[in-house]
Formats: sequence, C-alpha cells, structure tokens
Amino acid sequence: MKAILLEFYKLRRKRVFLMIVLFLLVEISWAFLSVSMAMSRNPDKAGWEGIVVTIASMNGLFLPILSAVVVSRISDMEHTGNTWKLLMAASLPRSRIYAAKYACACLLMLLAMILLSIAIATFGLANGFAQPLPLSLLLRFVSGTMLANMAVIALQQWISSAVKNQAFGLGLGMVGGFIGMTADLFPEAVRRIFVWSYYTGLSCVTYKYENGTMEFVTRSVEPALPLAVVLMGGAVYLIGSIHMSRKEE
Amino acid sequence: MLIKSLAAEWLKMRKSYIWSILAALPAVSILIGTANYYANKSVLTNGWYSLWTQVSLFYGEFFLPVLIAICCAYLCRLEHFNKNWYQVMTAPVSRSAIFISKLAIAGIMMLIVQAFFLLLYFCAGKVLGLASPFPIETVGWMSRGLYASIAISAVQLALSIRIRSFAVPIGISICAAFIGLGMYVMKLGMFYPYSLLTIGIGALSQESLTIAENGLFLAMNSLFIVIVSAIAIRYLSKRDVVA
Repeated sequence: MKAILLEFYKLRRKRVFLMIVLFLLVEISWAFLSVSMAMSRNPDKAGWEGIVVTIASMNGLFLPILSAVVVSRISDMEHTGNTWKLLMAASLPRSRIYAAKYACACLLMLLAMILLSIAIATFGLANGFAQPLPLSLLLRFVSGTMLANMAVIALQQWISSAVKNQAFGLGLGMVGGFIGMTADLFPEAVRRIFVWSYYTGLSCVTYKYENGTMEFVTRSVEPALPLAVVLMGGAVYLIGSIHMSRKEE
Repeated sequence: MLIKSLAAEWLKMRKSYIWSILAALPAVSILIGTANYYANKSVLTNGWYSLWTQVSLFYGEFFLPVLIAICCAYLCRLEHFNKNWYQVMTAPVSRSAIFISKLAIAGIMMLIVQAFFLLLYFCAGKVLGLASPFPIETVGWMSRGLYASIAISAVQLALSIRIRSFAVPIGISICAAFIGLGMYVMKLGMFYPYSLLTIGIGALSQESLTIAENGLFLAMNSLFIVIVSAIAIRYLSKRDVVA
C-alpha cells in the first residue's frame, strides 16, 4: 500500500490527471456529438444503449493510447531521473515495486472509467432519456472496459519499463489503438488474439444490422472472453514482472 | 553553423531504433486498409482511389500526426536527458539553428515515411491486381501531406522543447488530431494545422483542390511554420532552460 502511495506521490506534479481529463474531454465531446446527431435523425432510438456502444467503440482507439501515455509517465520518470537503481536497492522485493506501478496505473485508469461513466449518466439525464439510469449496464460497461484496460496496462508496463526509449511503448499504444478501433472488421478468430479488441468484445451493448437498419442490442458477454483477457493479461504481467525483477539496471 | 547543427541532429537519429517505428506504423495502416478493401471489394469499385480511401483514412487522420509527435519528441529526448540542454545552449550555434535543424530532420523523416507509405500503397495495389493505371494524384496528396507534416512538426517540436515528458506531447497530438477532424467537418480545416494534413493527404475527400485552395493551403502551412518556429526560437532565446 505504501509503495502505491509513493507512486502517486511521485506523480503529484506530473499533471497526469490533467492529461487524462484532456483525453476524456476529446473522446466524450466526439462521442456526444455523434450520438446527438444520430438522435436528431432517429429520435425514437435515443437511449442509453446508443451512448454506451459509441463510447465503447471509441474506447478501442482512445484507451490503448491513454494507457500507453499513463504507463509511460510512470516508468519514464524513473528512466529520466536515473532512479531505477535507487528504486531496486530499496528494501522491497522488485516484484512489489512492479506491482505498485501496475496498481497505480490501474487506479488512474479506473478513475478515468468512473469519469467516463459520470459523463454518460449526465448526458443521458440531460437529454431526458425515457429509461431510468441503468446502473447495472454502466457497471458492466466499466468492468468490461477495465478488464481490457488491465491487460493492456500489463503489456504497456512491461515495454515501458524494459525499454528506456518510450517511443516503443507509445508506438505500441498507437498500434493498439488502431487495432482496437478496427478490431470488429477482423474475423472472430483473428480478433481474439489481440488484447485491444476486447474493448468492444467485452462491451455489454453491441450493434446489430437487421433489414438494413442498425439496432443496439444489450447482450451478456460469453464467460470465455473475460477469461481469455485475464489469462492474456496475467501471462504478460507475470512475464514482465519476472523480466524486470531479474534485469540488471 | 546550420549545416553543423543538421549533421549533429542526423548523427543522433542515424542509428536509432526510431526507424523501426517509422516503418511499422505506415505498414500497419496499409495492412489493415488493404485487408478492409479486399473484404469489401464488391462495394469499393473505384480501383486505386477506393484503395486510397481505405489506407489513407486512419493513416492521415491519426497515425501520421502521432508519428510526427513521436519523431519530434524523440528529437528532443536526448536534450532532456542528463542535463544536455545546458550543453546545447552553451554550444556556439544560434537558437534558430538548433530549432531549424531539428525541424529539417523531422521533415526528412516525414519525407522518408511518405515515400515508404507510397511504395507500400503501390505494392498493395499490385498485390490486389488493380489493372487501372497508378493515379498521378497520389504525388499531389503525398507532397501536400508532407508540407502539412512540416507545419505539424513545428508545433510538436515547440511542445516537445517546452515539455520534458516524452508522452505528453504525443497525447496532445492525438487530441489535436481529433479536434482537427471536427474542424474539417465544420469546414474550418484550412485554419488548423492538423486539419490541413487531412485536406492535403486527401484522407476524407479525394477531390482535387482548386488553384485558390492550393494557394491557401500553402499559405496557411507556411504561416504556421513561420509563426510557430518564431515562437519556439524566441522561447529558446528568452527563457532559461531547465534540464
């Protein structure tokens, strides 16, 4: 716990929170604009599902990049300040330090998810959606997205800690964002290999085309999908943690 | 002085691994764009032009601005390490030479990226068996895209000089690219560097620009390059660097 608090202490003047808010502002502005235009064309389709599915598909682009930026900030401060040696000489197992950095990044992204949910709720209430605020839908949305985020953070943290040049971590985040955005175009078997595809894969709302019109459908996610993300994320986290624990600084 | 600054900048980039990233991002754009074109061949019937819509959309909209941001952040990364800004500022070269040399190297890198992207586009078309002649308009899209890239490079370099973090200017670039998309939709694209890239590269519309539009495009990009460079050089001259 102390190690996690120390990570936050090191970040206090890094303006990470400002960066997260800026990112989310752009994402929600774009999503709300898109949903508002769709609602003005089809007022009968105004509902929570539309905004949730739009945000979920935009998360595929934005969150891998935001995760890459957040994780890079957490790792790069040690690279820039030449403090890895100092950190590794602390009376804490290296795996604990790695875990603290991972937890710090996850908590920051969880905060981003909460802000995103508040924005969705505010948008729905402001537009007077007929249905009441669907708390369970929002909870499922946050948990699905957060699960995908945790796996992506594990990958990003390994790269950003192991490779001093942050261009690689951010380049990977960029490729991840691109795959996340276009994942639904891939065949199912190919899509499931990429961890970034789970932002839409774990979404509790999806699109369905019927008779040439698009419908929003609430669905229950197959248990195999979250299991696959947990396995992928867990494996990458373990490899990263072991690699960084044995690495000569 | 400028030649020596250029040589020094080039030396820093020559054997760096940044080239692998510069190659990977256009390759991914082409790969996914081509796969999407192949999957929707029945709808996309305009040969090379349809392929261009698929490969350039994400490349011009998101990948290239971020790639520029990564290059610019990388060009300033070494200076932010180990108090190297002090060494750079005490070297017998003018502040403008430092900035212009970095901008020129960013421009050369963008030229290489654009040429590589064009080559991949050509190869993708040939692999797909497109029989129509290669569209000459691509030269215009690529050269206008390159000029707009230099304007964005000036902005990103200014940010990367000011901000010590490697990641923050890149984060700003993706937000700026999205705002650029909004500006383009609102028909204000000519007044924003990130939308100028969308217009120049023909990512959303492949219609040719009129002579007046081409003139405005060149003028606006030149204006952004001059103004932002002047601000960045003034910042380097007036403010104490914190290394």
